[in-house]
Order: sequence, then structure tokens, then C-alpha cells
Amino acid sequence: MAPSSTAATAQTSSMDPIFHILKIVPYSFLTPPRLRLKLPSFSLPSPMTVFALILLTYFMVVSGIVYDVIVEPPGIGSTQDPVTGSVRPVVFLPGRVNGQYIIEGLSSGFMFVLGGVGIILMDLALEKNRAKTVKVFSIH
Amino acid sequence: MAGPPEQAPAPGLRYAFGSVLSFFILLLIGVFAFSIRLFSVIKYESVIHEFDPYFNYRVTQFLTKNGIYDFWNWFDDRTWYPLGRVIGGTVYPGLTLTAGTIWWLLNSLNIPLSVETVCVFTAPIFSAFAAWATYLLTKEVKGAGAGLTAAALLAMVPSYISRSVAGSYDNEAVAIFALIFTFYLYIKTLNTGSLFYATLNAIAYFYMVCSWGGYTFIINLIPMHALLCIVTGRYSSRLYVAYAPLVVLGTLLAALVPVVGFNAVMTSEHFASFLVFIIIHVVALVDYIKGSLSPKMFKVAVTLVVSVGLAVCFAVVAVLVALVASSPTMGWSGRSLSLLDPTYASKYIPIIASVSEHQPPTWPSYFMDINVLAFLVPAGIIACFLPLSDASSFVVLYIVTSVYFSGVMVRLMLVLAPAACIMSGIALSEAFDVFTRSIKFQLPGLSGNSEVNAGDGSSSTVVAQNDAAKTDKREDTLKDRPSRKNKKKEKEKEHVEKAPVKSKVKRLLVLPLEASVVALLLIVLLGAFYVVHCVWAAAEAYSAPSIVLTSHSHDGLHVFDDFREAYAWLSHNTDVDDKVASWWDYGYQTTAMANRTVIVDNNTWNNTHIATVGTAMSSPEKAAWEIFNSLDVKYVLVVFGGLVGYPSDDINKFLWMVRIGGGVFPHIKEPDYLRDGQYRIDSQATPTMLNCLMYKLSYYRFVETDGKAFDRVRRTEIGKKYFKLTHFDEVFTTHHWMVRIYKLRPPKNRIRGKTKKPKSKGSSTTSSKRGGTRKKNPWH
Repeated sequence: MAPSSTAATAQTSSMDPIFHILKIVPYSFLTPPRLRLKLPSFSLPSPMTVFALILLTYFMVVSGIVYDVIVEPPGIGSTQDPVTGSVRPVVFLPGRVNGQYIIEGLSSGFMFVLGGVGIILMDLALEKNRAKTVKVFSIH
Repeated sequence: MAGPPEQAPAPGLRYAFGSVLSFFILLLIGVFAFSIRLFSVIKYESVIHEFDPYFNYRVTQFLTKNGIYDFWNWFDDRTWYPLGRVIGGTVYPGLTLTAGTIWWLLNSLNIPLSVETVCVFTAPIFSAFAAWATYLLTKEVKGAGAGLTAAALLAMVPSYISRSVAGSYDNEAVAIFALIFTFYLYIKTLNTGSLFYATLNAIAYFYMVCSWGGYTFIINLIPMHALLCIVTGRYSSRLYVAYAPLVVLGTLLAALVPVVGFNAVMTSEHFASFLVFIIIHVVALVDYIKGSLSPKMFKVAVTLVVSVGLAVCFAVVAVLVALVASSPTMGWSGRSLSLLDPTYASKYIPIIASVSEHQPPTWPSYFMDINVLAFLVPAGIIACFLPLSDASSFVVLYIVTSVYFSGVMVRLMLVLAPAACIMSGIALSEAFDVFTRSIKFQLPGLSGNSEVNAGDGSSSTVVAQNDAAKTDKREDTLKDRPSRKNKKKEKEKEHVEKAPVKSKVKRLLVLPLEASVVALLLIVLLGAFYVVHCVWAAAEAYSAPSIVLTSHSHDGLHVFDDFREAYAWLSHNTDVDDKVASWWDYGYQTTAMANRTVIVDNNTWNNTHIATVGTAMSSPEKAAWEIFNSLDVKYVLVVFGGLVGYPSDDINKFLWMVRIGGGVFPHIKEPDYLRDGQYRIDSQATPTMLNCLMYKLSYYRFVETDGKAFDRVRRTEIGKKYFKLTHFDEVFTTHHWMVRIYKLRPPKNRIRGKTKKPKSKGSSTTSSKRGGTRKKNPWH
């Protein structure tokens, strides 16, 4: 909220009122210690980072992660084969639209994102600044 | 759509043709949006669906009969007996006022449509308007092509159809149109900086506040976007004009709506807008001062302002914290809090957790409701990033927030639907652009024109330096494109030979021809699958009116009209002032169709009252009779699906009666009704369960139907088959035993056995002796 200047130019022109107060109160008669601190600079993330975060959020939500957290279904279902007695896994929760297993949700979310990313790759293939190999990879 | 400026009449003709074509397309989209929602009217009849729309219908009837002043001041005593409900202050009036206005307008033109018809068809009409609003919004973000695609997608998206089908007369039918229109006006103001659109934006926001509780989404999303613009360095005077008038005018207008009232300035849901209001003023001031001061003076001024600002900020934050901390939910309403913390509702408010619409969605819900759009959304997000403008950053923020909220509650998929349509419209439009451009510039007949047209803003790039190297690279890339057939290689070699001759300077960014044709066909096929799914969803999944049920059996179609049968019986065979008790799901329908006073209804505003009814249903007969008698109840209505296999009956809802009742009255303990953690009604059921009122009222004389009392929903024979009712009389059971109505027996005149007073044994003889000489106190 308060944009304060770095330590180097702090002496002459700081915009920070607390710095001015500190200059007067203890540090007019005490010598300030020599510190080699640098204020962290705040830079906006690149668009690609933001997009990756958005895509990750989309993947998690569309996989039904909130349902998984609240209802806590099993990771994968299982049935018992009536003849042999062996336990076989069941991937899709049968019979209901409003229920899922965790792995089923994650794989379907992955499919959704894959479809979208495919269209993105097609668009990336047209960009002129990519390396040749990346373009070939994208077209393939 | 941008024509080349080479010849004067050709671009004018192209423009004219383009706008006429887009006008007709929009008209067709509107007609399509209207007609796809008419399936239930065709399959069943023009009837109001579900539960909530019956309340809205009753309110609209009152409005059309009594006028608007009586509507504002209406106190409804036919519901929540004996508490009543202030309708004027607890109802979002937008929907009823809209339908009432339409009815009044039509009637003044002497078109005598009944109120019911107007109510049934309000939703399809407003969905056509919503599709047009989506066109306008997407046109502001990306252009007319994307706008038309987005409008076409919104006209059929199943999530929106589910809440706006003909007969679903609920707030969302109008509110989604208001939402999209408000966003359109905000973006328009942002793009043009005009105060006219800012005022229209405030008025559209007012309409949204009137219509739906979801208006808090707008008043939190727009400040978030304004903050995002400021942080990413996109502050401009247009942003100020778009944001500040909205907050001031919008809050004032929102406070005019009686439901909102002072909540518009006191609840936490609105604080974000005020905070960003302050921030944007600070930024505007800094911007202004920076331009008129020298750098040193500027720093001094900023120091002064920051120190004053810090002091003021501490004071304001202290006040806010005191205000917010004084309420147990920190100022947020229960529903909003359950959005931010999905586990909140199940822990503290079982009623909110019990509504099936408030469950989190699973991935099949996504595929069912937005279908193919789920794939296209990420592509649309990227298309919004290249290039990033104010409007496209808004749409990205909209989709991210709505995806999160839809992940928490199924009901909010409705807010995701317009965002998904906009994104997918942008993605599809860009994809079509790329493919048709690839085809257009590579078709053999047209390659002669390709060079001339390539200079006019399509995807070619002008390479200024080092043409030879660049053309070499282009030749390489053209050759490297996957060409498994020899024909393709030859064609590319032709292009490579032709191209360096014709356009050394310009380079086309195109995909191979066959690939683009195939891809174009595949995208059209994708759209076809989407349309097929939407029409199927509209026809089969979302058109059920819930008041009439059908089932297909080997001898044709069976229609179960039991609900209306029961309400009609009630309305014809009971007194006007008789009170009917049932579970809260049926309250609205009972008041609207049977015209009788109910104890609890779907508004669920009083948890204790609902818990009282739930306790009565879970108690044995005598205790239940006492509770109902104290509420002046005459009739009890129970829904039972065991004979026909209707799964949403009261026995399946019984666990909520126990939980909600047990939450308020501790003598109802849930483990008393559970055997091995499950509610059972067969021979393994607990004795408490077999004795409770709900069991008895549902299964009374059930054994007479098939001799074995087999419950088709629970798929088992019931535990106690032969029993008599001691405090209730059965007065009506519908044709398929789906609704059963019981009457409370009047209290007995004589009480057998000991009376209540323990000292009456001794004093009865003495008082009879002294009866004449001593005045009896009538209150003892």
C-alpha cells in the first residue's frame, strides 16, 4: 500500500512517514547499523504463469475436488466377481450423475484440459517466434 | 469483417450484407432459445413446475389482483402459521414485477392472457434476451463473430435451460439476463468512458438487485476487476467512470429494495466495493498530483498523505473489525459463508446442507451441464490473453471466479454457463478464423488474390530485415509440416516455389490445407454433438415439471397426477381456515394450489419452526398430536412413494427431519432411529422408528395393497404391518398412494384414569361439601 523507496536513496527522499519518525526518535543519537538488506521488489507474474495457474485451478475444480473433500468417496470402487471371488476395480460410479470416485474425477478433468490444450497447441504452432522443433512438435 | 479500403462500394456492400446477416442470425438465435425451452409445454401442459415457482406465481397473482402498493405492504398470514411472513420485505420483487408488467401491458392492449400463461412463458422470453445480451457483451470483448458464436452457445447451454424452461418461473430466469446485461454495460463503459453507459449500468445493476440474491457476485466481481486493472497498471479515466458511479448509484439503488435495505452498507458482502472505491480514489488522486508537481515535492506530498492515510486506515479498520467481529459469522450471511468455506454448511446449518442443489458437483455434472464448452474454455482463456485488454481481463476473472463457485455448489453452475459460453465463443471464433484463413490463402484458385489480400490485416507478418533468411526458414517450416502423403509435399513445394516469387516481404501464418479442412469439419462436428446433447437434455432431462410424473411401461404411458389430486381434495373438502402440516418441501405448492394455511414452507427462514415439525414427525403418535394441536393443525400431509417407486418421498427425507429436529430439541437422538448406521423400516428397524409418526402415517393400511407390504423404494417388506392409529384419522389417499392426508382427532371429552392433579383424591370430597359456601377460583 505505501510505496517506500529502497535503502540507497532513503537518506534524501523517502516517502515513508515511519522512516522519518525513526530517523528522529532513536536514530538521531544512535548510529544505525550497517545492513545489507534489499527490499523485495514486487513484479507482476508473467502472463504464462498466470495462465498456468488458471489452468491448474480449472483442472482441479472440474475434477470435482470439492465433492471429493466433502463427501470423501473412495479412490476407486470395487466389486467382487461372483464366480471366482476376486476383487475387481470399478472405475465409474454406476447409477448416479451426482457421484464420482476420486480417480474417475481426476482423469475426466484431465481429459477436459487435454481437449482445450490441444486447441491451444494448434494456435501456438502458428506463432513465428517458436523454434522449429517446437512447431513441428505442436503440429504433430 | 474489415473490408479492404481499395474500392468504395465493395466494403459498403460487405458491411451491409454482414450486418443484415448478423441481424437475421440474432433473430434466429432468439427464436431458437425460446423454442428449445418449450418441450415441457408440449409434453405435459402449460403448468408451473417444481416448488419455488408456485410461490412466485401466488405472489404474482396477488400483485395483479391488488396492485403494487398492497404488494409492497403485504403481510401473508397463510404461511408459517402462527408467525406469518412479511412478503414485501422478504421477496426479491424483480421477477414478479416483470411478469406483472408484461401481463398488465398485454391486458391493456386487450390481449387476454392469463397470469399463469405469462408466468410460464416469462423464462423463455428472457432467455432470448440473455442470448442477445451475450452477443453484445462478447462483441465488446472480441468482435462480432465471437459474439454471434457465444450467443448461439448460450441459447442452448443445458445448465441455463434447466433453470429457465417454460414453467420454471423462478428468479434465475430473469436474473441471468440482468447479470449479462449489467456486465455488458460495464464493459461498454470501460471501453468508451461514457457517463451515459455508466448510468445505464447502475440502472441495470438495480434491476439485478431486484431480481436475485446472486447480485453480490456482481458487486464483488467488478471491484476485483477494478483492483486487478489498477495493479496491472491499466488505470485510466475510463476505469474511474466505469467504477465509481456504479458503486455510489448502485448502492443507493440497492438500498431502495426492501429485501436488501441497509444490508447494502452493513454486510460484509458489500465491503469489497467500498474498499476498492477508496483505493481507486487514492490512485486517481496520486495520478492527478503526479502530473502537476515536481518529483521532490511529489515525494513530500506522498509522505504526508501516506501518514495521514495510515492513521485514517487504522481507525476505519478498527471500526470494521469491531462491527464484523460482533457478529458470529463475521457479517457474512450463511449462504455466502458456505460458498467460501464449503464445509461450513454441513457443520452448522443442516438445512442448507440438505438441499440437493447445494451439494458440490462431480465431473458428470460438468459434462452434462456445459458439455463441449468444458474443453473450449482453456482455449478461450488463452485467446483472451492475446492481446490482453481491459475487457478480456474482466472475462478471464469472471470465468475463474465462476469456475471456483460452481465447484462448490451445483446450483451455481448457472453462473458459470454464460462465462463458459463467452470463452467458448471466443475460442471457436478464433479457431474458425485460423482454419478459414488457412484454407482461403491456400486454395489454388484464390492464391492469385492471396498476395493482395494478405496486406490488409490478416495473419501475415511483414518482415523488415533479412528477408532471405526468413524465407529460408519459412521454406523449412513449410517443408517440415507433417505431410505423410506425397500429394501434400508436392503442393507445399508449389507454394514454396510460388511464394518466394510473389511475396518476399510478407509471410503467411497458415496451417496446411488438408489439415485445416479436416479440422474445420471436426469443429463443425463438435458443434453438432453439442447441439444434439443440448436438445436431448432439454427434452428428456430438464423438462420434467415435478408436479406431474410419468413413467413408461409396457402398456403405454402412465401419468401420476397425485399431487394436484391431493391439493384439489384439500381445497374442496376442508374449511378455508384449516391448517395443514407437512414437511417444508410442499409448503409453497399447498398454499398456492390448495389455498390452505401451512405451518412451514420452502422459504426455510425459521429453523426452530421447521425443527418443531420435524420433531413431531419423529415422535410417537401422542407426542406428535400434542405438538400439532398446539399449532392449531387440522390436517397432516405425507408423501409416500412406496407403492409406485417414487424415490423422493418423506421416508427418504426422514433423516433430515431427525437431524433438524434433533438440532433444536435434544430429546430426538439420531442413533435411536439407526440400525447399523442406516435408517431402516423393515423388520430390523429400531422400535423408535417403528413407532414414530412418519412411519405410521406412511404405512397405515399399506399391507392391504398387496398383502405383503413390499416397499418399492426401499425394496423390502416393512417391519410393522398391522397397526391402528390412535390420534389420527385417514381422510384421503390419492390414486397411487403418493399423497396421504390425515386429520387430527379432536381431544377426548372425558379422560379415563387418574386426573393430572395429585391432591384431588383428598380434596374432591371436601370441595364438594363446601362447594356452596366458598367461591371457587376459576384459575385453579
